[in-house]
Amino acid sequence: MSEVTLMLEAVAKGRHASEDLLPLVYAELRCLAAVRMAQESAGQTLQPTALVHEAWLQLTGVGERSWQNRAHFFGAAADAMRRILIDKARRKARIKHGGGQFRVDLADLDLAETTPDDNMVLINEALQQLEQADPEQARVVVLKFFGGLTNQEVADTLGVGERTVDRQWACAKARLFQWIRQARPM
Amino acid sequence: MSATKQMEDAVFYAAVSIADAEQRFQFLGQACAGNAALRAVVEEMLAAQAQADSFFKKSSAALALPAEKFPAPPAGGAGPPPKPVVDEYVGSLVGRYKLLQRIGEGGCGVVYMAEQSEPVRRRVALKIIKLGMDTKSVIARFDAERQALAMMDHPNIARVLDAGATETGRPYFVMELVRGFKITDYSDQNNLDPRRRLDLFIQVCHAIQHAHQKGVIHRDIKPSNILVTLHDGKPVPKVIDFGIAKAIEGKLTDQTLFTAYEQLIGTPAYMSPEQAEMSGLDMDTRSDIYSLGVLLYELLTGKTPFDQKELLQSGLHEMRRKLREDEPKRPSTILTTLHGPELSVTAAHRHIEPPRLISLLKGDLDWIVMKALEKDRTRRYETVSGLALDVGRYLDNEPVLARPPSRTYRLQKLMRRHRAVFVSGSAVALALVVGLGAATWMFFRERDAREQAELAGEREAELRQQAEAKEQIDQAAIYVSQNNFEAANEILDRIQTPPSRPSYDGVMAYRQVGEWLAWRQRWAEAADRFASLMGIDRLDAWQVVTLDYQACGVLLAEGGKRERYDQFCLAALDRFRSSTNGDLEGRILKTCLLFPPADSTMKEIAPMAQVVADYYDPTPKESFPPWPVIPLALWEYRRGNYAAADDWCRCGLDRGGQIQALNATVRIIQAMADQQRGRIQVAAQELAPVRQIVEARFDTSPLPGDNQSSWYDWVFARILLMEAAGLMEGNNANQVGDQAPKQPGGM
Repeated sequence: MSEVTLMLEAVAKGRHASEDLLPLVYAELRCLAAVRMAQESAGQTLQPTALVHEAWLQLTGVGERSWQNRAHFFGAAADAMRRILIDKARRKARIKHGGGQFRVDLADLDLAETTPDDNMVLINEALQQLEQADPEQARVVVLKFFGGLTNQEVADTLGVGERTVDRQWACAKARLFQWIRQARPM
Repeated sequence: MSATKQMEDAVFYAAVSIADAEQRFQFLGQACAGNAALRAVVEEMLAAQAQADSFFKKSSAALALPAEKFPAPPAGGAGPPPKPVVDEYVGSLVGRYKLLQRIGEGGCGVVYMAEQSEPVRRRVALKIIKLGMDTKSVIARFDAERQALAMMDHPNIARVLDAGATETGRPYFVMELVRGFKITDYSDQNNLDPRRRLDLFIQVCHAIQHAHQKGVIHRDIKPSNILVTLHDGKPVPKVIDFGIAKAIEGKLTDQTLFTAYEQLIGTPAYMSPEQAEMSGLDMDTRSDIYSLGVLLYELLTGKTPFDQKELLQSGLHEMRRKLREDEPKRPSTILTTLHGPELSVTAAHRHIEPPRLISLLKGDLDWIVMKALEKDRTRRYETVSGLALDVGRYLDNEPVLARPPSRTYRLQKLMRRHRAVFVSGSAVALALVVGLGAATWMFFRERDAREQAELAGEREAELRQQAEAKEQIDQAAIYVSQNNFEAANEILDRIQTPPSRPSYDGVMAYRQVGEWLAWRQRWAEAADRFASLMGIDRLDAWQVVTLDYQACGVLLAEGGKRERYDQFCLAALDRFRSSTNGDLEGRILKTCLLFPPADSTMKEIAPMAQVVADYYDPTPKESFPPWPVIPLALWEYRRGNYAAADDWCRCGLDRGGQIQALNATVRIIQAMADQQRGRIQVAAQELAPVRQIVEARFDTSPLPGDNQSSWYDWVFARILLMEAAGLMEGNNANQVGDQAPKQPGGM
C-alpha cells in the first residue's frame, strides 16, 4: 500500500486535514501534470506546479471531502485536470480566433487546420455526447486522456480489466473523432 | 449504454485487431449479416480510426508542448498508440543500462531511472536528448569535457558518468541518480526561512565553485537542475546536468534558433545577458554567477528578476534586449509589487511575516543579488566563492562587499554583531585592548579601524537607535503601501528620534500617515507625525517641503501647542530666510502669522513679508494669483494696516472667491479688519455665514475631499475664525489661541 493511500485513509478517518495530504500527493499529482505539461516548456500559461495546485484546490475547495482511496482521488484529479485544461484551451482558442465566441468561430474551421487547443475543446464537446451514450466509456477517456493515467491505472480505478480499458479507449477514440468530423467537413 | 452501441463497439474492436484487409472484410460480412446499419456504423468507425489516432495524438501532444512554437517531435515509429507518455524505452536496454522507469522530462530530454550491471551494479539516471540533433558532435563535445567532468568530485555535484547514443541515434547521458526535489520546491514545501535558504544556496555555490576550479562551466543553472536530498535528515543540494548544456550546444541555424534555444535552455529567466546573445564562444564562469544570482533572487522572493512568461512571449529579439538593458527590480522592491495574498503566501513559505521579509531583504541581500545580476559581467562577483563569502558575511552580520562601504554602514554591522558590547558606553575602546575574538580582531585591523572605534564609542547609542528606527520606518512604509494606516501610525508613534535620512518611502510614510490622521481630525497625533517630518533632513523639492511646513504649523496651532508652534515658526523662518520665491515664502509667512506674533517675531517676519510683496509687485490686482493674497492680507492686518488688509481681501474675493477655503479665510480677515476699524455690526454680519460654512466642514470624518484646497487650508480658516469670534466678544486674541477650544461654536 502506498504512502498516499495510507494518508488518504487517515484523512478519511479524520486524523489529518486534507491539507496535510498535499505534500505527499504532490509528487503523484506532479506526475499526472507532467504528462500534460512538459516541464518548463515555453509558452505554457499554466505550469505543472500551478496545474497541480489548481487541481488540488478544486479537489479540496468543494468542502471537507475525504478520498476513499488512491483510485478515487485520481479519478477526481482527472476531472479537475479536465476542467483546467479545457478552460485554458478555451481561453487560448478564443484569443486566437479573435476574441469572439468560440463555438461560432470553430464551426467554420477546417478540421485539418485546427490548433491542438481547438481540438481539446472539440474533444470535450464530443465527450459530453459520449457521456450520454456510454458513461463508462466516457469515464475511460477522462481518466486516460485528461488524467494521463496508464491503462493499468485506469483499470484499477474503474475495477475492470486492462483489456477492457484498451477496448473502450479504442472505440471511444474512433467514435469521438467520427462525431467531431460529422459536425465539420474535413 | 444501448445494446446497439455495445454491439457496434464489440464488432469494431474485433475488426481492428484483424490486420489483414481481406480477412477483416469477411469478418464484417459475417458479424453484420442482415444488419446494414451496424455495418455502416462500424465501417465509419474503422474509417475514422487511423485519423482518430493521429487526431488524439496531436491534441494530447499539444497539451504538453505548444505546437505553434515547437517543431513536431521526431516521429517515434509508425502509428504507436497515442499514449500520453511515450514509454517506448522503458524495459529496454540502452547501451549497458536497463531502463526501469521514466522519472522526469525536461526541456531537452527525458530522464529515466536505469540500472547498470557492469562493472558495478547500481541505479543511475539516464537522460535521452530528444532533439533531432547531430548526435556525433554532441558526443564528441561531451568526450572533450569528459576528462574535466571526471575530475569533479564534490558532495553537492551529481556526477556525469557516461554518454552514448541510443539505437535510434539519439544522444544520452548517464548520471548519478539523485532522488530529490527542486531546490525551490523543497524550500517552499518545508517553509524554510531565509537563513536556511541562504545556507542551501551557499552549498550550491561551493559546488559550482568546485566545478569552476576544474574548468567546467555549468551553463544551465536553474532550480530544476538543483535537487535537494536528505542525508541524515539534513538537506543537501545536488547540482545535476554538469557538462550537458555545453555538449548539446550545437551550431544553431537561424531558422531553428529560437525553438531550439527554448528547448535547450528552456529557462531564459536564468540566462545571463551574454548567454542570451548566444555568441557562444564568449561564455565564462561569470555567466554561472549571473544564474546563481537569479537563483538567489527566486529563493528569496519566489520570483525571477524577469518574468519567464513575459520573456518568452516577447520574442527572441526583445528578450535579448530586455536581458541586456532592463534593470530588474530589487528583491525587496518586487515583493512590494505583489498582491496582498501572493505576498502573504510568499512570506508564509519563508516562515516570516510579509513586512519583516521585505525589510530583511532591503539592504545587504538586495545589494548582493543585484551585484550578481550586473549586466556588465566585470561588475559581478569575480568568483562564485566571492558570492558565497558575501552571503556568509551577511549571515554573520559582517559588512558585505556588494555594498559601497560607508562608515555608518560598517558601524551598524559592527554593532549588530556585538550588541551586548555596545550597550556599555566605552566598551569598544576596551575591546580593542582586550580583544573580542577573531572576527572582531580582523575587522579592527582594517585601515581606519581605530578611528572608527573611537567614533563608535561616541555615537553608538545614536547609531543603534537610528538603525532600529530605520527598520521600523521601513515597516511602517510597508503598512502604508497596504493602506493599513493605523498599524503604520502605531509604529511611527513609537519612534522617539527619527533618523536624519530615512528612505524616500519612509518620508512618504510620515506624510501619508499624518494626512490620514488629519482627515480623521486626530490633530495631536497628526501634529506629531508632521513634526517628525520637519526634523528629517530631506532633499525633497521645496515645493513639497513648504506644504509640509504649512500642514505642520497649522496642526501645532490647532492643537493649541503655542510654545511648540512659536519654536516651529522661528525654525521655519530661519530655514527659508534665503529663499526669494515669493510663492513658497508666502506659505511660510501665513503659517507664521496664524497667531498674532510677538513683537520680536514680527521683526523676523518682516523681511520675508517684503520678499513676498516684492515678488508679486508689478502684478496688477486683476491678474493676481489667489492664494498669495492670504499672507499679504494677514501681514497687513497683523501690523495694523487694516485698510490695506481690506484691499487685499477684496482682491482675494475677486480672484479666488469661488475657492471655498480661500473665500472663507479672506472673509474672516476682512471681518476682523472691519471690527478693528470700529465697523462692529458689519463685521458681525460678515462673520456669521462664514462661521456656518467652516463649522459644517468639520462635521464629517474623514474630512471630505476637495480638489481646490487641502484639509490644512480649512483648519487654517477655523483657527482664524476662533480668533475673530474672540475678538468680537472682546476677548484677547492671544488667549483664544492658548485655550484652543475644539469647537469654535463653543466660544
